[in-house]
Amino acid sequence: MTYAKPIADTVLDVRDLHTQFFTETGVVKAVNGVSFTLGRGERMAIVGESGSGKSAMAMSLISLLAHPGKLVSGEVWLDGQDLAAMSEKELNGIRGSRVGTIFQDPMSSLDPVMKVSDQMVPPIERHLKLGAKAARDLAIGWLDKVGIPDAARRIDAYPFEMSGGMRQRVMIAMALSCNPRLVIADEPTTALDVTIQAQIVELLRRLTAETGTAMLFITHDLGLVSRFAQKVAVMYAGRIVEIGPTATVFRRPKHPYTQSLLRTIPRAGETEKRERLLQIPGFPPDMKVPPQGCAFRERCPGAHDLCAVETPQQTVRGPDHNAACFLPNGLDDVAEPAAEAPAERPVPVTTDWRALPRQDVLEINNLSKHFVGETLLPWVKPPTVRAVNGVSLRVRRGETLGIVGESGCGKSTIARMLLGLDEPTGGEIFIQGTGQMVFQDPYSSFNPKMKVFDIIAEPLVVQRVGTKDERARRVRALIEQVGLEQSYLDRFPNQLSGGQRQRVAVARALALNPSVVVADEPTSALDVSVRAQIINLLCDLKADLGVSFVFISHDLSTVRYVSDWIAVMYLGEVVEYGPAEEVFADPAHPYTRALLDAVPVLDPEAEAEREIRVISGELPSPLNLPKGCAFASRCPKVTDLCRQEKPVLVQRRERRTEACHHAG
Amino acid sequence: MAGSLSLGRSAPVTLRRANEGPMRPTSPAPPPATQVRKPPVHRTGWRAILANRKTQIALMILVPILVLAALLPWLPLQAPLQTNLRAMMKPPSLTFPFGTDRMGRDVLSRTLEGVKVSLFVGFSVAFISLVFGVVLGTVSGFFGKWVDRAIMTVVDIFLAFPSLLLAIGLVSIVGTGLIPVIMAISLADIPRFVRLQRSLVLSLRTRAYIDAARTVKAPQWWLLTRHVVPNTIAPLLVAASIAAANAILVEASLSFLGLGIMPPEPSLGNLIRDGQTYLEQAWWISTLPGVVILAIAISLHFLSDGIREVLDPRSRK
Repeated sequence: MTYAKPIADTVLDVRDLHTQFFTETGVVKAVNGVSFTLGRGERMAIVGESGSGKSAMAMSLISLLAHPGKLVSGEVWLDGQDLAAMSEKELNGIRGSRVGTIFQDPMSSLDPVMKVSDQMVPPIERHLKLGAKAARDLAIGWLDKVGIPDAARRIDAYPFEMSGGMRQRVMIAMALSCNPRLVIADEPTTALDVTIQAQIVELLRRLTAETGTAMLFITHDLGLVSRFAQKVAVMYAGRIVEIGPTATVFRRPKHPYTQSLLRTIPRAGETEKRERLLQIPGFPPDMKVPPQGCAFRERCPGAHDLCAVETPQQTVRGPDHNAACFLPNGLDDVAEPAAEAPAERPVPVTTDWRALPRQDVLEINNLSKHFVGETLLPWVKPPTVRAVNGVSLRVRRGETLGIVGESGCGKSTIARMLLGLDEPTGGEIFIQGTGQMVFQDPYSSFNPKMKVFDIIAEPLVVQRVGTKDERARRVRALIEQVGLEQSYLDRFPNQLSGGQRQRVAVARALALNPSVVVADEPTSALDVSVRAQIINLLCDLKADLGVSFVFISHDLSTVRYVSDWIAVMYLGEVVEYGPAEEVFADPAHPYTRALLDAVPVLDPEAEAEREIRVISGELPSPLNLPKGCAFASRCPKVTDLCRQEKPVLVQRRERRTEACHHAG
Repeated sequence: MAGSLSLGRSAPVTLRRANEGPMRPTSPAPPPATQVRKPPVHRTGWRAILANRKTQIALMILVPILVLAALLPWLPLQAPLQTNLRAMMKPPSLTFPFGTDRMGRDVLSRTLEGVKVSLFVGFSVAFISLVFGVVLGTVSGFFGKWVDRAIMTVVDIFLAFPSLLLAIGLVSIVGTGLIPVIMAISLADIPRFVRLQRSLVLSLRTRAYIDAARTVKAPQWWLLTRHVVPNTIAPLLVAASIAAANAILVEASLSFLGLGIMPPEPSLGNLIRDGQTYLEQAWWISTLPGVVILAIAISLHFLSDGIREVLDPRSRK
């Protein structure tokens, strides 16, 4: 994907955009002077942490701000018209016809009680001035283009009759159907699985190239940027701090924030396992009180006296490449690159766990879980969801097992069974010692009425461990161990940030000295910079305490970084198992290979050269599993044997097993 | 890319003004701990409830009425039950601010006495329904299965009747008077609380923090008293203040129909009934107690709105 400046005209020209939210507790200055241009057929990504103003900026372009938000000043020129100065009525003519939008959640952006045709056809009639029949034909044509099978029939389906990926395709078809000049996509693939995400991204890339539609693409996934966007703008505290061609920005970032961001992400194969991830200290600034000087100053290792006084403006750093920092090369100019002072951690090692025998602490044999539905008629066989189908795994002391797979593959069900939250239908689980859990969503995993102290102490109180004083001492030791100050013990969960909550969750999980900690997507709800902190913490604890981890995630690069062993699951079964590095470097099962192909890497040039084999189709329903190999419906190597006979896990090489007729 | 590098070097910015000489980093990144900033917290405590505009309006109406009712024996008013044949059907004046009825009794002091009865009924009903609703609803929602089915069947049968009709029916069985009235209205209100609590518990039952407590083998009573019930109290308080307003109106209706508090004992309902016959000659006998009922009911609704706004910021417009 070599970048060439578009010869054609500029489609969008945004000048000094300011957006503010007038809330009861003060004015939130979400966007503070954003300017950029977008050419015909150009795809630009906007990246930044949550709260950096990227969504507010995009929605300001078409004045679609939620209630207290207001476009305060600025110009938005689209084909010689200033959208910012338009009346609501004029804007309604623009939205949906000249500007298309794709939102994050395909579940809530389609009306559930209207057929797809009723949502899609009227806008086409209105904007393109077509008759009902012609508009319908056009809509069917678009649905066909976005890869909806049997579009002529499916156009009369209701949204709930479609999967998430299908709905997002419908959204894309709707956004593009009126030949817009510009498409704004706000995290269009975040809610989707990696393989579906890869399909959607391919689709968007092909369609915008065909139609010459410019695209503004908001995301927090830097890998996706490198695969998809020609141009990238990094936002921080409501400003664009760096903007330029993706390849240049990723190769030679000039702003300290971009530089740090790129280094917080474990790079497949590049980042050494034992090397700690860079973490950006501190928090983004409070947008109600915009800081004087550079907003990133407090988190920047290269901060300078001037940064506190004057706000740096964008200056030219290369062809089309601008950055807003006083240092010409950002952190590269700082003599001592961000000394990664690993925070002093109290290491309460009572016995050196390394001296203990490296035995299995967790053993799962032929585990299965079937959810049986209900039928009203006794002679009808109740529908059965086979969520987990005969899984056997082992975890040794002090090792991490990563479990990966798309949603619906049964990985969370395994976690719930490990902790006794669900009864297995069959099979056995042996845990030496106790197992504890770190949950996915740090916002719902704490009782909002309990203070942090009581949250961490709960396991001790329930299990009647020690006296009150002993428990209090233990809680204080635990909170320090996860890198928080004791003053946090008096807070309620809603007074903590996402990363702090996840630290508290880890402290609580460690309270009973577990031998295994099950972490179900512990970082997926966190921002990139915070994610690195939690991953570092988990790795430290593993090294200090010899705790074993079962790390469940769909984020393959994170799993690769933290895991010693890896199990790839598909429809309730393990299809490949082996040492993490070996599996990632040389996947044996076609599904593992497909998953790895679907994940974009951080290097735009490597992305451009990569031959991306996107697997087609979606997960079959676990209600009626196919007779042969479960992956047969999507597998590129499928043969008749696969459809007839179910492959079993076979060891072909040392320490590696996979369930495929055609592997090896 | 070499070109871009040299371009980058030529670009450094106006530095001379702030300090001369080569650029040196200041002290590296400040320790993050000192930067700790609490994310905005939506306050939900009692103080926040008292700071709410609607709650304040409610209290501005309720508190004076309550104070007057409490101070009744010391006010320079004729006792509620005392008759005065020299001052029958007198219109409102300084001596009788609400006027007098056909037996020369002071309408204001009778109204305040009635307010006591009304509020006692209102709050007793709210409290009794709350307690029973919490217990039955929690059991029903948390344990499910046959317990749930049994409780909900009974509740649904009760809910099939309009609550006023149910209360009338119950009073005609149990008899009239203060305690029977409270029992009757509570019995009619409990099913609604059970339903509400059950739905709250059902949504809480699958929260991650309940699962988290389960993984450390917390017993059922711990889950219920620590995690489930405390998180249902807020919406229940809203429901309870509406139930109190409703109970006051139902009590007034029952007394008006001659099924509630029996004369000469005053209640807002039977005061209105008393004056109804003389509405053309002496409007004040019915109207002024009616206005007081209205004020109390409205302020209780404001109170519940206020509590809800504080507890659920999204309901605010």
